[in-house]
Formats: sequence, structure tokens, C-alpha cells
Amino acid sequence: MPFPDVKLANRPLHFLYLCDCSGSMAASGKMQALNQAIRQSLPGMAAVARDNPEARVLVRAVRFADHAVWHIETPTPVDQLEWRDLQAGGITAMGEALKLVAAALQTPPMEVRALPPVLVLISDGQPTDDFAAGLEALLRVPWAQKAVRLAIALGHDADLEVLQRFIGTEPATAGRSPRRPLQASNATSLAQYIQWASTAVVGAASMPASRVSETPLEPAAGNIPLPDLPPTVLDPTDDVGPLVW
Amino acid sequence: MSWILPEGASLGFEGLAAPLRIVRGLGGGTQGQVYEVDLEGERLALKWYLPACIARDGGLERRLVASIRATAPNEDFLWPIALLRASPASRPLIRIRDESFGYLMPLRPPAYVGACEHAAGRLAIGLRQVMRACFGLADAFHALHLAGLCYKDVSLGNLFLEPASGGILICDNDNVAVDGADHGAVLGTPGFMAPEVLLGQARPGADSDLFSLAVLLFRLLTRHDPLKGQMELAIRCLDEPARRRLCGEDPVFIFDPVDDRNRPDPIEHAAALITWPIYPRPLQALFEQTFCRGMKQPSRRALTGQWKQELARSLDRRSLCPACGQENFQASGAPALCWSCGAPLPEPITLRLPHGSVVAAPDNELHPHHFDALAGEDLRRPLARVVAHPQDPRRLGLRNLSSAAWSAETHDGRVQAVQPGESCSLAALARIQSPAGPIAVQRPIRPSPIA
Ligand SMILES: Nc1ncnc2c1ncn2[C@@H]1O[C@H](COP(=O)(O)OP(=O)(O)O)[C@@H](O)[C@H]1O
Ligand SMILES: [Mg+2]
Repeated sequence: MPFPDVKLANRPLHFLYLCDCSGSMAASGKMQALNQAIRQSLPGMAAVARDNPEARVLVRAVRFADHAVWHIETPTPVDQLEWRDLQAGGITAMGEALKLVAAALQTPPMEVRALPPVLVLISDGQPTDDFAAGLEALLRVPWAQKAVRLAIALGHDADLEVLQRFIGTEPATAGRSPRRPLQASNATSLAQYIQWASTAVVGAASMPASRVSETPLEPAAGNIPLPDLPPTVLDPTDDVGPLVW
Repeated sequence: MSWILPEGASLGFEGLAAPLRIVRGLGGGTQGQVYEVDLEGERLALKWYLPACIARDGGLERRLVASIRATAPNEDFLWPIALLRASPASRPLIRIRDESFGYLMPLRPPAYVGACEHAAGRLAIGLRQVMRACFGLADAFHALHLAGLCYKDVSLGNLFLEPASGGILICDNDNVAVDGADHGAVLGTPGFMAPEVLLGQARPGADSDLFSLAVLLFRLLTRHDPLKGQMELAIRCLDEPARRRLCGEDPVFIFDPVDDRNRPDPIEHAAALITWPIYPRPLQALFEQTFCRGMKQPSRRALTGQWKQELARSLDRRSLCPACGQENFQASGAPALCWSCGAPLPEPITLRLPHGSVVAAPDNELHPHHFDALAGEDLRRPLARVVAHPQDPRRLGLRNLSSAAWSAETHDGRVQAVQPGESCSLAALARIQSPAGPIAVQRPIRPSPIA
């Protein structure tokens, strides 16, 4: 006879992409690379979601250029997600994007109980609007304070200081990934970072992984210990990834 | 996934005479990547470590070498077979700069699936199979602990189940060490870790294994977490500090008979409330022992031998509800109702054995430990199985799975031989003499008909 038809209680895990779609993203195939990286990461993300029955992984995305708008507004289960390509064009309303996300992380519409949200900000340049006001609005929201905030800098024109303020400063703990923006200088490294954020980080935020003694059991400020960054996998034919952006 | 070892390539390793073909990547985790490999026609699994993991865990290589020398406690472990380092010629084919190593282990057969599939409710599995898997788990840890070893990282992620049989396999055996002797790097997986380990007051060892084992057994039997009740509902953001409070600083068992602060919520935690009453009282008592007194006193936790005994006895009590067919595990004697449909369960026919008794329900089995007081509980080599008649499932028989003939005696004194592989009907049977010992058929005393 079958085991009783009962399911493990679960909590939502909100995963939000904040994607820079300014005109500069059109250069050197950056926009295409980002679209590809996210699309390619979805099966792996779905597999992690499947393996973590305690979490209900829901994805959203904001695009920002002249203005910030929802690219995916409804929190969507990963396995139902279809990634429509983002188009580049305009300036960099990053502050507005943070305000849009701040509103979405208010309760309601946010659930009363959830896992820490994961916010991934991807940009190749400087904000052209009031970034500070946007960040302040975001960090007033408790769910944003609790969120795992990651930033990916595309190419050498990205404003690392702004991205660092988004993720927050925190002393790097021994053996763990430093809390610094991830710098992608080509499509391969971008794809690796996106994959890491959408699989390893989602896993860490939804279900605790094995701990080793070097992992501080009581993290200094972060509320989720970040997993190791992907080991740089050297492709023997292509040695270290080229500096494209 | 970017694979460190080239799929399809044949690589040479130090100490291996033949090259190893990397068939395909199977998965990657926090410590490394696992590959299906072919060694002279034999399929095996190879775990290859990330350099960061080797750097963090100085004792890893020493522990692996010791485990390989010691061999597996029983066949349910995907135990390390050999430690591998790339030969100089193969070094350049490995796509990481830093020196690294791996180990060979048996490959998990395709019928085995990750235990989280059961936790998520995606597996077609029966209660008997879940209980057998729990027994297998207790048995495996019993063998491991008796060998003086401890596992340290018990979790749902390191267990595989075969839904059809309830068979188990335990992977990730690279943290295994002599209990108390080693200072390995792993602490365990939050949610399964004993409170004293989570709080940094103790290193993982056999006592903390007992806590983690009980959590895993509870999660398999109930599809719920033993510490997630009202106190979890009060947490808005379930992050690390919250888990530390819930599982370390103030852990309260959801069915603690005294402390009722953490009772399951009827809606959010329905799984626990539906499944807990299925299990017989002595089995529930072992959870209470481990999660109440044993929560703060590691030496009071239920031992592997106790789990084995109660899980085996629970399986012996298994009966099928005549109304809905669902499996029940109620203790004999007291009048009982089916947990699923509420119908009264009739007093069953039982097979009385020198050591214990087994309810006559299809698929229930007699084992050597039912006959020999010195034999530990073991479900691997059944001597007999209750079978239903193919045409009329209500007619039960007993199949001789042993290698020797039985002599079966009916109520009217007729004696008949039951050869290995044959079955005899239980209908008129009084007792069986088998080389292992006697089997007596005990029928319920029928309530006298109403006058
Ligand atoms: N012996 C094996 N046979 C088949 N698959 C395995 C075996 N051992 C591990 N795996 C699979 O490989 C993946 C990673 O394994 P694991 O050792 O748990 O990684 P980590 O400990 O680094 O998280 C998992 O998907 C697991 O199911
Ligand atoms: Mg593992």
C-alpha cells in the first residue's frame, strides 16, 4: 500500500534578477551572452529546486534601461520559466530598479514566512539615476536586509563601487568567497557566475549543506554562508578565458 | 556543469594497471564531482575532489586510506575502493591547475533514487518498504558503530532508496573515521546535526550520529522534520541564525510528551500529524528518548541496536486493513482501528516463534533471529514468507524460503512435507517443524456469537 499522500512543508524562495539593459549592453555581444547564460542555467536551477523539497523556488526579473520594468513579474516556478530575450537600449536606471524590487519585497505581496530571497544584480556600467535613494529604499525593507545579495560586473566599465554598496561590505571570512562583486570579462565566466548563483547559492539558501569546521557556524553578518565559487575550470584548448569585455 | 575530468577520455592513474575510461559526469556537489567510469569492463563511480576541499580538510587522504584498508561495515555502503592520483601522462588532461585526487567506489544501480525524492512525496513507495529502509539504515549504522567508526554527516542527501524493495545505499563515506580519534573537517548538515555539534560544544562522533540517524529515520517515516512545529512557524525568515535557534539553542521535539511549545500545526505540518499515529508505541518511544532526554544528553539517545529491534518488531506486526487494504502496525492485544479508514482491525492470525511472533499478512517474513536468540535482527535472508493465494487473496499460505524441508501439521493431525520453494495453506495448519525451530499458528479467540 502506498505511503500516505503527504508532502513536506515548504517555504518560498524568491530569486530575482536585476538586469542592466542599457545601450552599452549591446556592445560585444554582452546582452546575448547574458540571455544565453540565464537560459542555460535554468535546467541546473530546476534540478537544485527539485532536490530541495523544503523550498519552492520562484523566479522574477527586472530589466532597467531608461526605466526599470518587470521582465518577469509573476514569481514563476523554475521548471515553468521560459526566458524571453532582453533587449539593450537606453540609459541605466539602476536606482529605479532597486525601488521596484523594494516594493515587491514588502509584506504583502511577500509571504509572511519564506526563505532568504536571493537578489542578483548584473551591470556593465554606472547608474544614471539616483542609485543611493534606490538602495536606501531597498535596504529599509526587512526581506531585502535578509536577502542574499550578489552582483556581477560585466567588463571593465562596470561601477564596482556601486555594486559593492548593493551587496554590502562585510569582512571576508577565512576560506569563504569574499563578498565582492563577481567580475566577468567574457561569456564563459559570466555563464559560470550565473550558474553558481542559480544553483549553489539557491541550494545554500534553501537547504543547508554539509558544514566543515572552517565554515563559521555563526556567520558574522551574512545570514547564509555562501558556497565556494566555481573552481576555474581550464579548458585545455582555450586555456584561461580571454579578456573580451 | 563544467566537468573537471574529460568525459569519454581514458586516463591513467598511479597504482592502477589499466586505464580508466571516464564514461560521463554524474553530478557535482560542494566537495567534488562524481563520474561513472569503466575499469576493464566494470562500471564504477569515481569521486574527484575540488582542490579547495582538499585544502580545507587536511585529514581527508589519511581517512580514505584507512577506510579502504578497513573495508565496508556491510554491503549497504558505497565504500571507497581505491585512492587515485593521475599519472604524469594524464595530468595535463585534468582541467584544474592544482594537484587533486579522488577515489573509486561502487556505482549506484539505476533502481536506487535519492532519498529526497521520498521526502518530496514524488516516490511511489509503500510503508513496508519505508520501514525496511529504516531498518537497513539502523543496521548499517549498527555495523559502522560496532566497528568503532562514526559517519559524521548523516543527511537525506547521502542516502539512496530502492522503492520496490526498501533497500538502501549510503554514499559520501569520506568523512568516516574512528570515533573520537580524528579531527576531520566535517561537522554535519544543519537540520541533522546534534545540538551540541551545531553549537560548537562537541565534535561529531558516534553519539551525534545517533541524533542525526533519528532525524533521518523520523524524516523517512513521517516526511516531516522532528523540530518543525509552532516554533518554526513563528520564524519569518528561515536563515542560519533562525536554524541555529530552532535546532541548537532551544530545540523542542514536536511530539515531546511534556513540552508542548512546538506542536505541529494542523495545516502546515499535516504530514507529521497524519503519519505519527501509524507507528507503534515502542517505536515512538525511541524518538521521544532521543529527542527529549537525549536532546541535551548525548549518552541517553536510542542506540542502533534498539532501533533495529523495534523496527524489526514493527514489521512483524504489520497487518492489512480488511476494509481499505492499508498497512497497519498496531500492537496486538488492544482493539485497534485502521489509521487510514478508521475501520476496526480484527485480531489477526499470528505465527508464534521461539523468539517473537509475526502477523500472518502477505509479504511478512520469518527470519533467523525469530528462531535464534543469539542472532541479531537481519532481514536479508528470510526463511519463510506469508503469501496470498493467487486466486483468492484472503487465503494465506506460508512459503518455505529455506533450503530444508518442513513438516507441517494440521489440526486433524495430518502431517505433510513442505519442500523448499513450496507453500502450505495456513487455513488448517496447527504448527510447522522446521530445522530452524517450530512455527505455531495462533488463531484469534473469536468473540462468542451473540445469543
Ligand atoms: N557511487 C555513486 N554512484 C552514482 N552516483 C553517485 C555516487 N556517489 C555520488 N553520486 C552522485 O554524485 C553527486 C554528487 O555526490 P556527492 O558525493 O554527494 O557530492 P558532494 O558531497 O560534494 O555534495 C550526487 O548527485 C550523487 O547522487
Ligand atoms: Mg554529498
